[in-house]
Amino acid sequence: MSRRILWWLAPIFGVVGFLTLWEVLVVVFDVRPFIIPRPTKIVASIGDDPSFYWRHARATIWEAAVGFLIAFVVGLATAAVLAHVRFVERAVSPLLIILQVTPIIAYAPAIVLWVGFGFKPIVVITAIACYVPFVINATIGFRSVDPTLIELARSVDASKIEVFRRLRLPSALPSVFSAARIAVGLALIGAVLGEWFGGSKVGLGNAVKTAQGQGLTLQLWSSIFVLALIGGIAIILIGVVERLVLHWHSSQRDLE
Amino acid sequence: MKIEGTFVDDDSLVVAEGVGRVFHGRRRDIEALRDVDLRVGRGEFVSLLGPSGCGKSTLLRIIGGLVPYDSGRVLVHGTSPATARAAKMFGLVPQSPALMPWKTVTDNVRFLSALHRGRSQYPPLSSTEVDELLDAVGLSAFVNAYPHELSGGMQQRVSLVRGFALGAPILLMDEPFAALDEITRSDMRYLLLQLWNRTKATVLFVTHSVTEAAILSDRVMVMAPRPGRIAAARTVELPRPRTVELEDDPRFFEVVRQLRADLREFHAPPIEPR
Repeated sequence: MSRRILWWLAPIFGVVGFLTLWEVLVVVFDVRPFIIPRPTKIVASIGDDPSFYWRHARATIWEAAVGFLIAFVVGLATAAVLAHVRFVERAVSPLLIILQVTPIIAYAPAIVLWVGFGFKPIVVITAIACYVPFVINATIGFRSVDPTLIELARSVDASKIEVFRRLRLPSALPSVFSAARIAVGLALIGAVLGEWFGGSKVGLGNAVKTAQGQGLTLQLWSSIFVLALIGGIAIILIGVVERLVLHWHSSQRDLE
Repeated sequence: MKIEGTFVDDDSLVVAEGVGRVFHGRRRDIEALRDVDLRVGRGEFVSLLGPSGCGKSTLLRIIGGLVPYDSGRVLVHGTSPATARAAKMFGLVPQSPALMPWKTVTDNVRFLSALHRGRSQYPPLSSTEVDELLDAVGLSAFVNAYPHELSGGMQQRVSLVRGFALGAPILLMDEPFAALDEITRSDMRYLLLQLWNRTKATVLFVTHSVTEAAILSDRVMVMAPRPGRIAAARTVELPRPRTVELEDDPRFFEVVRQLRADLREFHAPPIEPR
């Protein structure tokens, strides 16, 4: 029983331990606040003006979520084609790799140039940042069906659409979930970057930018903390959905 | 026990005449089947017995319309295997259970009948009948369980019931018990016979076990490799229903002895004994 509780508390120990170490080191070595503030100060400064951070966080969450969902839908549609037509997959995969290895920050200004300022470039940048992991993972997932199940479907002359819906889609879920975990971080990068280049008036990227411009170290770190919190919560939410949806999968049974 | 003459029966559900199949490999071609003749009557239980590489699985898949053939002809219920497949005439029971891990036992059993729905002239079993089959194989307490909660033997029983639940007139079984332990295997054979007794389907059963072929079959086609062919056809004249006691019967020993002799005669060992 107590082992179980310890098991579940382990991640919290890790995070709290890290923050405590940080706090102690800053105090012991008397690091000045404009270099790196103490975590307690950072948390307190968020508490001082929660509406400021909530307003910016809301904007960033919305941008990241829209970009993430677009990447999810377009990515799975692309993967469905790639999983069926090997030739297209071979033709497209270098483009996907180029898209993935080229730093998004390099072509972010170009995207702003094409689609203009505001919400649009942010969402486009976010969607592009998340797109490749969804395509690659879902393609692998769609192909990961037990070949004997495919043969069984063939033995009753099932159509490709039936095989896709009943076998490929469920088989791809585990890899789509791992893509989603990777994409959470990329979506936040995309959103912050988009705000930075897109001349946004709101959002945590904007808060970071103004903090940098005006030397507000505490606001900089508070924004970072809020971003980390958003990412963390998103990962936890994905984990909860995953446990519900993939209760049948071996990845969900490795505990205890 | 007697050697088959030319088997003439107009009621044959499956007819294969002079069937050949060559696989074109990268280095050389492999003649998987040469000049295979086979007739399976309605309601018959026929086994294809042979060592690995004798083309027994290929023959099963050719009849099921899953693999093309190069020469000869195959008729299933008077039509081509592909047409028969489209009419959902085959219930396939593969070697591995191949269950959908995200579906319960009930949904897995319904998998084949749920696919390509409405096209079949052979109605699937009703849910009461399916429940009876699940009960007969001892799975009635597990209908809502997921495959990962079942043992290998239980999973294979689900796979068996899935094959029967389709209601297809022909069942194609490709070494369904090969991966099970000997004790479970032995139970499964009699379970299979029970299910077969209820549905009266025609069964083509691929196996490399002499005992299995003897216990289950009406007729056994002994196959030999390089090239894959039918080397002998034997009728198993053991009374039905067959029970485990039969395995101690001298008549059973005689069937097994004959099949072993057939296998030895046509199966040259890869290394000459010194």
